[in-house]
Formats: sequence, structure tokens, C-alpha cells
Amino acid sequence: MQVKTQRNDIQPKSTKDMANTRYKLQTKNINVFYGQFQAINNISLDIAPNSVTAFIGPSGCGKSTLLRLFNRMNDYIEGFRHEGKVLIDGEDIYTQDVKLEELRKKVGMVFQKPNPFPKSIFENVAYGLKIQGIKDKNFIEERVIESLKQATLYDEVKDDLNKQALALSGGQQQRLCIARALAVKPSIILMDEPTSALDPISSDKIEDLIYELKNKYTIVVVTHNMQQAGRISDHTAFLYMGKLIEFDKTKKIFTNPEKERTQNYITGRFG
Amino acid sequence: MNKQRLNRNKDKLFQGMGITATVFCMIILVIFISFVLYQGLDRLSWDFIVGLPSRFAGNAGIYTAWIGTLWVMVLTTLISFPIGVGAGIYLEEYGKKSRLNTLLEINITNLAGVPSIIYGLLGLEVFVRIMKMGNSILAGASTLSLLILPIIIVSTREAIRAVPKTIKEASLALGASRWQTIRSQILPASFGGILTGVILAISRAVGETAPLIVIGALAYVPFAPTGPLDEFTVLPIQIFNWVTRPQHEFVINAAAAIIVLLAITFMLNGIAVYLRYRWQKKIRW
Amino acid sequence: MSHLDTELKLLNDDILEMMHLVKGQLENGRDAFMNFDEELAHAITVNERRVDALELKIDRDCENILALFNPVAVDLRFVIASFKINTDLERLGDHADSIAKYILDFGGPIDETVIKTMQIDEMYEVAIQMLNNVFDAFATDDTQLARKVFRQDQILNEINRNVSQTAAELIQKDPENIQLYLYLFSIIRKLERVGDLTKNTAEEIIFYIEAKVLKHKKDKYKNNRENS
Repeated sequence: MQVKTQRNDIQPKSTKDMANTRYKLQTKNINVFYGQFQAINNISLDIAPNSVTAFIGPSGCGKSTLLRLFNRMNDYIEGFRHEGKVLIDGEDIYTQDVKLEELRKKVGMVFQKPNPFPKSIFENVAYGLKIQGIKDKNFIEERVIESLKQATLYDEVKDDLNKQALALSGGQQQRLCIARALAVKPSIILMDEPTSALDPISSDKIEDLIYELKNKYTIVVVTHNMQQAGRISDHTAFLYMGKLIEFDKTKKIFTNPEKERTQNYITGRFG
Repeated sequence: MNKQRLNRNKDKLFQGMGITATVFCMIILVIFISFVLYQGLDRLSWDFIVGLPSRFAGNAGIYTAWIGTLWVMVLTTLISFPIGVGAGIYLEEYGKKSRLNTLLEINITNLAGVPSIIYGLLGLEVFVRIMKMGNSILAGASTLSLLILPIIIVSTREAIRAVPKTIKEASLALGASRWQTIRSQILPASFGGILTGVILAISRAVGETAPLIVIGALAYVPFAPTGPLDEFTVLPIQIFNWVTRPQHEFVINAAAAIIVLLAITFMLNGIAVYLRYRWQKKIRW
Repeated sequence: MSHLDTELKLLNDDILEMMHLVKGQLENGRDAFMNFDEELAHAITVNERRVDALELKIDRDCENILALFNPVAVDLRFVIASFKINTDLERLGDHADSIAKYILDFGGPIDETVIKTMQIDEMYEVAIQMLNNVFDAFATDDTQLARKVFRQDQILNEINRNVSQTAAELIQKDPENIQLYLYLFSIIRKLERVGDLTKNTAEEIIFYIEAKVLKHKKDKYKNNRENS
């Protein structure tokens, strides 16, 4: 009931804001349900282009769900239902005429566990292009090399691009997955705890890579690791029980958060 | 202290029981196979394999029977493979958790347990009579396909389920459609498992007798079938037929035929084991 | 270059700018004092605001780096040292500002022989030399250079110790200008403080590079190669 009235209040405002493309990603009063369970509770946030935004919060706070709204990966989950709007470049991505394939070309994703396909390095990076029906071999090869370079992996694998991807180390696999996402030229990259399965040195490399990539991409990172959020992000959103508790510049969140709950979480005094 | 020893003894006891059970099975199998070999091996000859059936045990061959088995095998594969794998993919990848799908799933599992004679009766009514296929290979293959479909569906689903979800997500997140994901990631990764299941199902179908008898496969077919609509017999029926004869020579014929049938079944199983081994070696997550 | 490296580089640049700014204030102070240039003295008081603003910025940067990057080892020492150097430099700036205000109060140029007698020109020379050494030490991570400062500071201390005597004599000879002498006396005290702050900065630089705490130790300048 309460949710409904809130939505009605906001409705005209959100249509007005739709023209506002200053923000790359926006959610407007978004609610997400899995069956009876409400995973996201009325979250509105705006993410600026070419920035890194971190979602932090305890397990099950809804940060992964929020992240997966942006490329509609939640669609496959049983009982998924949402209210409100998710906008990319000012356009609602949950309308009938949005093609998932097109959307995901624009929004790349990197997962928690490195998940290369059981194929060669080359085939992994080329996959996104091949499924688009691109046949031009030179073009594909150029793009594969470019993407591997961008992901700072090329120097390590250039001798044998036909090597089985699963033979790479965990950190290399994750950078391969990033290269694979970059190959289709997205403008947004979503990362769901991209370093949680990696050793510290590999993590550092991924973090450095994220820092490099933000010049060209809008990056959203879900992380369990608060220090990581501090190191890599420009903005940080703290979520708790499906609600957005605080969303601000990372510097602000880490030096002087507005909310006591945020302070308790980032100082490790979460009770 | 005492309890520990008790537990250790229990452990040993159970281990002993397990070994006994295994050895028992092996002994039975060995006795059975050696008995069959002992009886039939002498009778096995090239003439026996390419000989047409005859009223005289000494002249009778199994040519029509194993050609029939081959026909049934190929046709059954052609019918059941696409349907079974397709259904498996649908249920695993596309099917939402609706009432209907849950019902379907329960029924498919149940179907795997239905006695084969019932399938025979169904085939007799539907394929032989209503669809007017007659006592043909096609009718037999269709019936056997029904029989093994549940097995294929279940094993297809299991093979698909063994593919990590992360691979599927990775493909979808790159903008692949569901079908592209299935075709270029899920099927290649699960194909070994699917094939294993299909081959095991086929080898079961090859050994089936009851449903084929019901739909009217004949024991005596003078000529090898040349098309799917011909009348036919299969090895198990031939064996069954010979075994029921009073003359000892026919029983020996049966033993020889059993050797051939077992060889076919073992070969199929061997291929399945090999495929599974290769698949497991090729893909590790 | 990693994110932290970039941030540390920026902090380093800011500290260097702060050093440059403060050194400029002190040099201008000397020129204003020697030539009785009231305009220049006024400019110093205006510039003081820039020093204050930069101090705040560096403070904030240090806080952010500590909060966001949790630096360790040499990075941590660098941030802590920067944080303290920043405070020292700002107070150096304050002293330059105070001196400029005295100059504006003089009302006329000062007799060169008085300056010579009170050794103010020499103090300025030494103080600026110290600053130069410290800044070069910071820019090039040269701890030998930083250690030079400790000896130079003793010159300032020496002059400062003698100044009471000198000032008393001058006042006795020329009681009418007592106020002027008191101003000069205060300037000398300020310059002595400048020397102390510069020395602190040198200690911080050595702490950052060598992880050695030299604070409150006698014989600092000896504590390099022979002892370590």
C-alpha cells in the first residue's frame, strides 16, 4: 500500500527526468520481488558516465539484484517481478520493444567466479562478435587483440591465443572474461564481486584494470570488500535489507558518512 | 574406546557385505556368460550369421534377425534422439515452473518405470492399428522409442544440468540468445553426457522383446527387411523362439545368438563408457 | 600506474607546491624587509590565504588516502609525513605572514648597520638555504641533504641566543627607537621558529624515507652512515 502511494507521487517527476541523460544509469523507485520476498525496496539512484560506482552491504542486502537489473539478468530467476523504472541513457530498458541482445551488447558483465568458456582464449573473446553474426576474420582478430590488450592480458597470452582458456590462472581467467566483455564494445560494465575468488595480487591487477577502464566505461562493481570499494570507486552505495541507505561520493562515505548505519558497517561495527 | 572398536567392526562388516554382494553378482554373470559361450561358441560361424532362418536347426541362421535389430536400432535412434533431447532441452532450459511442467516432469519420471509390455500394447493400438503401420519395423521402432524416451529425457536433463550455470550466464550476458547459448555452449558441453544416455537407452531397446512380440514382430521372417515398412524380427525374439523349441540343437542356436546379442549390447555400452570418459577429460570446470 | 600511486603522486605534487609557495613567502619577506617594500609585504599577507587553502586541501587528501586506500609501509609513512610536513609548512607560512605585518608597521626603512649587527640578513640567508635543502631533499628523496639542515639550524639557534645581548646594547645606545628594536627582536624569534619548523620537516622526510624517528634526539646529524 505504502509503496503504491509513493510511486504515484513520483510518477510525473520520473517522466520529466527521463530526458535527463546526464546520467548513464538510473533507477527510479525500483522495487524487486522474488515471489513474495521483496529484494529491493524503492531504490532511486543516478550513476554518472565514466565513473566507478561500488555497491556495498552485507550478504543478501540486494546489491547483486540491483546490479543485475541493469542488464536484465534477473529475468531468468523464478518469480522475478519489478516495479519502477531502470533507465540507461535515459531510456527505460524494461519495455516491450527493448531487445535483450541489444541491451547486453551495451552492458557487459563480469561475474564473481571467472567463467571462461571451455574453449581457446581466442574463441572466448571472439564469442560475443560471432554470435552477432560477424564473419570478417580480420576484424574479429583485430578486436580480440585490442580487447586482450585493454584487459592487460595480451602480453601474457600473445604467444598462444589458441591455448585452452581453462589452463590460465584464476586472475588471468578473470581478465579474459573482462576482455570477452570488452570485445562487444559495451559502454557499461557490471562487475559482480569480480575479485572475490582471486588471490590478492590478481585482485590488485583487476583493481588497477578497473581504474584504467573507467576513462572509457561506466563501471558498477558489487563488492564484499569495503577497502576495495574505497580504492576503486568514485561513488559508493550502501545497501541494507533491500534499501539504499546511503549513496554518495566514496570519499564522503569513507570519511564522514551521513547515516549511522553506514558508519557502523564501514567501521566493522555492524550489529 | 569400546565404542570406537564397535564402530570399526561395523565398518568392516559392512565392507565385507559389500564385497560379497559384488563378488556374488560377478560370479553369476561369469557363470552365465561362460555357460552361454560354452554352449554357443561352436555353433557360431559366418554361415550362422549370414544364414536365413530355417526349420532345420543345422541350417538356420540369424541374418534376418540381426538385420532387423539393426533396422530397429537405427530407426529408434532417429525417432527418439531428436524428440528426447528436444524435450530434455525444453524442460531444462525453457520450461518455467508451471503446474503443467511439474506434471510433465513427474509423468516422465513415472513413464520410465512402466513395464515394457504396456508400451507394446500402446504401440499395437496406436501405431499398428490406428496409424496403420502394420507389423512393420517402423511400428516397432516407434514403440521402442516411446519406451526409451523417458530415459533419454532424464539423462539429457542431467547432462545439461551438469553444465555450470555460470557458463550459461556468461553467454547470455554477452548478448547471446537462449538458442545461441544452448547451441554454442550448453550442447557442446553436455553432448558427451547426452550421447552416453542415448546409447545406454538404445542398448536397452535392443534387448527388448515383449513390446515387439505384442505388436506382432514375427519369429519367422524368410527374407531380410529392406525398408522400414517391411515385416521383421529381431534377435531377442529369435532367441526366445528357439529357446521354446523342444530340440536341443535349437537351444544351441539360441546360445550362439545370445552371444551375438550380448556382443552388440556390450559394444554399445563400451562406446558409452568411452564417450563419457573422453567428455570428462575434455571439459573440467 | 595504480590508483594509489596516482593519488600519492598528486599528494607529492601538492606538497611540493606548498613548499614552493612557502619558500616564496619567506623570500619575499626578506626582500620586503631589506628594501622596505610595503607593497611586497602586503602581497605576502594576501598570499597567506593561498597557503591556508592548500593546507586544507592537503589535509583532506591525506584523510581520503588513509580512508580509501589504507596505505601501508612506505606509502603509509609518506602520507603521515606529508600530513605533518603540511602542518609545519603552514606554520612557516604564518611566520612569514607575521613578519610581513611587522614590516608594514615599521613606517620606514631600517638602517643597514642595525640589520647587520642583529644578523638578521644572515638569519634570512641561512633559513632560506635550509628551506632549499629540505625541499630538494623531499623532491629527490635525499636524506643526506635533509641532514644538512640540522647543522644549519644550530647557526640560527646561536644567533637567536645572542640576540638578547645585542638588542639590549642597541636599545641602551638608542632608546628612542626601542619599538623598532623590539620588532626586529620579534622577527629574529620568528626566524628561529622557521628554522625549527624546517628541521621538523627534515625529520619527517627522514622518517618517510628511512623509517627512522629522529625526533627529540641529540646529535641528529651524526646519526646517518656511521650509526646505521
